[in-house]
Amino acid sequence: MDSSGSTQKLENLLLVAVPRDLMDDEVIELRREILQAIRRHGSQVVLLDFSRVDICDSFFGRFIYTTSKMVELMGAKVIISGLQDVVIETMVELGMTLPDVDAVLDLDDALALSRSLSRQYNHLNETAPPDGDIADEE
Amino acid sequence: MAGQSRKDQLHFTIQHVADVSTSRRAGMQMAINMGFAHADATKIAVVISELARNILIYARTGTIIVKEHRGLDGKRGIKIIADDNGPGIPFLDKALTEGYTTSGGLGLGLSGSKRLMDEFYIHSEVGKGTNVTAVKWLNK
Ligand SMILES: Nc1ncnc2c1ncn2[C@@H]1O[C@H](COP(=O)(O)OP(=O)(O)OP(=O)(O)O)[C@@H](O)[C@H]1O
Ligand SMILES: [Mg+2]
Repeated sequence: MDSSGSTQKLENLLLVAVPRDLMDDEVIELRREILQAIRRHGSQVVLLDFSRVDICDSFFGRFIYTTSKMVELMGAKVIISGLQDVVIETMVELGMTLPDVDAVLDLDDALALSRSLSRQYNHLNETAPPDGDIADEE
Repeated sequence: MAGQSRKDQLHFTIQHVADVSTSRRAGMQMAINMGFAHADATKIAVVISELARNILIYARTGTIIVKEHRGLDGKRGIKIIADDNGPGIPFLDKALTEGYTTSGGLGLGLSGSKRLMDEFYIHSEVGKGTNVTAVKWLNK
């Protein structure tokens, strides 16, 4: 497992621990870090872990949305997890919807999703097998 | 930054992004100390965050006051007053519509805050500034 700052590689998943209070300049910084890490690791799924976040305003909503759009342009996918119950309740009442962003319950589900995506991906590229480890493929 | 004038009243000058997190944290703590449930304290924090951020984006600077509030019938609540001398809002009904934004935002700050609170008043004059006053009651 290779980690730098708040991002961490796990198989083809990129784990991102979203800080509790995300300030404007830090948002830009974190986004850059995510995009660089995707390129470095060839990650296919980015998991934004919100378990440290206890106040989620519209600014946070925009962060999730724009990050997912940028990640999409790199051929990867954003999923989120760890939103606390009261945070979810407040987000919904505020009127925040996150179209195109899937949520998972925990890391296990995130891993399952990224493994299934990587199987699809490897299947599509069967004619030109990637040099990565696909030893556990059936 | 935070200048705490009285125990039951918080006063913040909003002029940097850091003031947004300082004010919402302190407001959330005040709500919890008053006996608000965690979910309601979270909502109060988000409303402070939205109003403080609006001040920063549209008026550059202004103030947020968070204080204990008593209704006519004696019920207790928390009151948030956001005040600025910025450009004002020309079309209030539009600004209160979900999704309406002039800054590429989500357009949720005002409409969402209104939903999160029990009472919500906004007064704005073009060229003079904007005042938002919102109340959440403790025991409904
Ligand atoms: N304090 C203010 N001074 C001047 N105009 C304001 C102020 N607050 C809000 N507005 C106007 O009202 C509109 C709606 O505000 P609202 O907070 O609902 O959405 P937003 O700030 O555009 O986006 P979001 O809050 O979702 O990030 C703003 O786009 C802006 O034009
Ligand atoms: Mg706003």
